[in-house]
Amino acid sequence: MEKDHFRAPVSDTFRRKSPFKLLLEHMNKVRECIDILGEGLLSYYKGDYSSFPTIAERVDKLEHEADLIKSNIRNHLPKTILMPVDKGKFLWLLREEDKILDHAENLAKMLDMRHTAIPKELREGFIDHAKFVIKTVKAMEKAVENVADLLETGFVRKERQETKEAIYKVHEFEHKADEKKYEITKGIYKLEKKLDPMDVYHLLKIADWVDDIADHAENVADWLRSMIAK
Amino acid sequence: MAWSIGSNDVANSMATAVGAKAITFKQAVLIAGILNFIGAVFVGSHVTDTVRKGIVDVSGIRPETLLLGFIASLLAAAIWVTISTWKEMPISTTHSVIGALMGFGIIAGGLSTVKWNTVGAVVSSWILSPLFGCILAFLVFKIIVKLIFAKDEPVKAARIVGPIIIGFTAFIITVSLFLKTPLSIKLGLSETDGIIIAGIISIVVGIIGILLLRMVKNKKNGDYATVEGIFRKLQIITSSYVAFAHGANDVANAIGPVASIIPLAQGLSVGSTVEVPVTLLMLGGIGIAIGCVTWGQRVMKTVGKRITSLTNTRGFSVDFGAATTVLVASKLGMPISTSHTVVGAVIGVGLARGLEAIDLSVIKKIIVSWLLTLPVAAATSIAIFILLQTIV
Repeated sequence: MEKDHFRAPVSDTFRRKSPFKLLLEHMNKVRECIDILGEGLLSYYKGDYSSFPTIAERVDKLEHEADLIKSNIRNHLPKTILMPVDKGKFLWLLREEDKILDHAENLAKMLDMRHTAIPKELREGFIDHAKFVIKTVKAMEKAVENVADLLETGFVRKERQETKEAIYKVHEFEHKADEKKYEITKGIYKLEKKLDPMDVYHLLKIADWVDDIADHAENVADWLRSMIAK
Repeated sequence: MAWSIGSNDVANSMATAVGAKAITFKQAVLIAGILNFIGAVFVGSHVTDTVRKGIVDVSGIRPETLLLGFIASLLAAAIWVTISTWKEMPISTTHSVIGALMGFGIIAGGLSTVKWNTVGAVVSSWILSPLFGCILAFLVFKIIVKLIFAKDEPVKAARIVGPIIIGFTAFIITVSLFLKTPLSIKLGLSETDGIIIAGIISIVVGIIGILLLRMVKNKKNGDYATVEGIFRKLQIITSSYVAFAHGANDVANAIGPVASIIPLAQGLSVGSTVEVPVTLLMLGGIGIAIGCVTWGQRVMKTVGKRITSLTNTRGFSVDFGAATTVLVASKLGMPISTSHTVVGAVIGVGLARGLEAIDLSVIKKIIVSWLLTLPVAAATSIAIFILLQTIV
C-alpha cells in the first residue's frame, strides 16, 4: 500500500533509520579500513611494498563509503529529532571517527607514493608502534560497539561502567603508542647523519601520521565518554 | 465508518507487536478483530453515551431535525476521515465525529444547544490523554530498566517481573469488564465481586505467564536478547490489551450517531432512559473486526515495517501506557484518539532514553489536527445538514 493511506501520526514518529545503527555501520568501515591498512603497514615496515597499490585503492574506497554514511547521518538529524544522548556530542564523535579514515587514506596514499626503507635499527620500534596504534583503534571499536547494549538497557549504570572500562583501555594503548612514537623519533634523529635527508623526512612523517590515527581514536573515546555521562 | 476505523486505527495498535515480530500479520488481525469486538460490546457503552447525548442537548430539537442532523454528522465525519486518510493527515476519527456533532448542534438549535461543559471536558481529555500515555509509558519503561536491565541477571529478573505485569494487565481488563457494565448487571455482580474475580483471574494469568515464559529459552547472543525474547511473548498480551481498549473507545465514533438515529427512526424520542442497544454495539464491533480483517493487514504491514526501532520491551511499554490510558478514558466516557495516545506513549519511552531517535515534529501535526478538525468537521456537517434540509 502506498504511503498516502495513512492518517496515523504513529508512523510519522519513526520515519528515519536510527542514527546509532548508521554510526555502527560507519565504525565497521573504520574497522575494515584499519584491518587492511594495519596489515599493509606491517609488511611495508618489513620492506614488502608489493601489496600497497591495492591497499591504497581499497582504503580510498572504504573512506568514500564511510563519507556517504557520515553525510547521511548529518543530513538527517533535524532539530525535531529526539535522541537519548546529546546530538552535538554524537556528531563530534562521528566527526572524530571519520578523521581516522581521512588520516588512514592520506597515509595509505603517501606510503604508496614513496617506498621508504625503514633502517634495521628502527624496524622493531616502528612495528611495535603500529601494533599499539591498531590496538588503540580496536579498543575504541569495542567501546563504540557497547553503545548497542547501552541503548538496549536505557543506559543503566552497569553498561555505562562497561563502556568506561573500554574507554580506559583506549587511553592506555594510546599512551603506549605515544611513548613508542617518541622512542622511534629519537632513534631517527640519532641516525640523521647516516640517513638520506628525504628518508628522515619521510620516516618522521610516517611516525606522525600513524600516530594521528591513535590520537583520533582517543578523541572518539573521549566524546563517547562525554556522550554517555549522566 | 466502523470499517474504516477497523482498518486504520487497529493497525496502529497492533503495529508495534507486528513490527517487533511478536506475532504474525494473520495472528494480529485475528486477535485485533476479536478483542476489538469484545471491547466494543462490553465496555463501549460509556463512550457511546457521551457521543450520543453528551455533545448536543437533544431535548429542544424536533425528532425529524435530529434524525437529519445525526445523518449529516455521520456523513460529515465519514467524508472528513476519508479525505484526511487520502491526504495523509493525522486526524482522528474521534475528533471528526465530535466536531460534526457540534456543527449540527449549533445550526439546529443555536450555540446554547451544544453542551459546552462536556465538550470542554472532551477536548481537555484530548490534551491529557497523550500526556497521560506518555507518563505511563515512561514509568513502565523505567520500571523495566530498574527491575530487569539494571540487574546482574536480567533474564532471571524478567522471568519474575514479566508475569507480575501481565497479571496486573489482566486485573485492569477484568475490572473494566465487571465494574458497572451491562455484563456485571446481568450477572448480578457487586463491585467487590468484580474486584475479587479480577484478582483471581489476574493470579491465574500470572501463573500461566510464568509457565509460558519457562518455554522461552536462553539465547546465545547475550542476556538482553533473551529478555527481548521474553517480552516478545508478553507483548502479545499487551497488544491484545490495546485492541480491547481501542474497541471500547472507538466503537462510539461509528455507532454513537447511529445509536441516536435508530430509536428516532422507530418513532421514539431520544430519552436519556434509552440504553445503547447491545446489538448496535455488536454491529459496531463486527464492523471494526471486519475492517481489521480486510484492510488492517495491509496498513499494519506498512506501519510495522516503519517501526523497526521499536524492540519488544519498548513496544510493551508503549502498549501498556497507551492501552491503560484509553481504557480509563473509555470508562470515564471520554472519546479520545487511540493513535494520539500511542504517539504520547512512544514519546514517553523516548524521554526515558529508551529510543534511538524519534521525530518530535509529529507533535506539531497533532496539535494542528486538534485545531483544525473541530471547525472543519463542524462546517462540513452544517453544510450537509442544510443540504439535506432543502432536499427533504
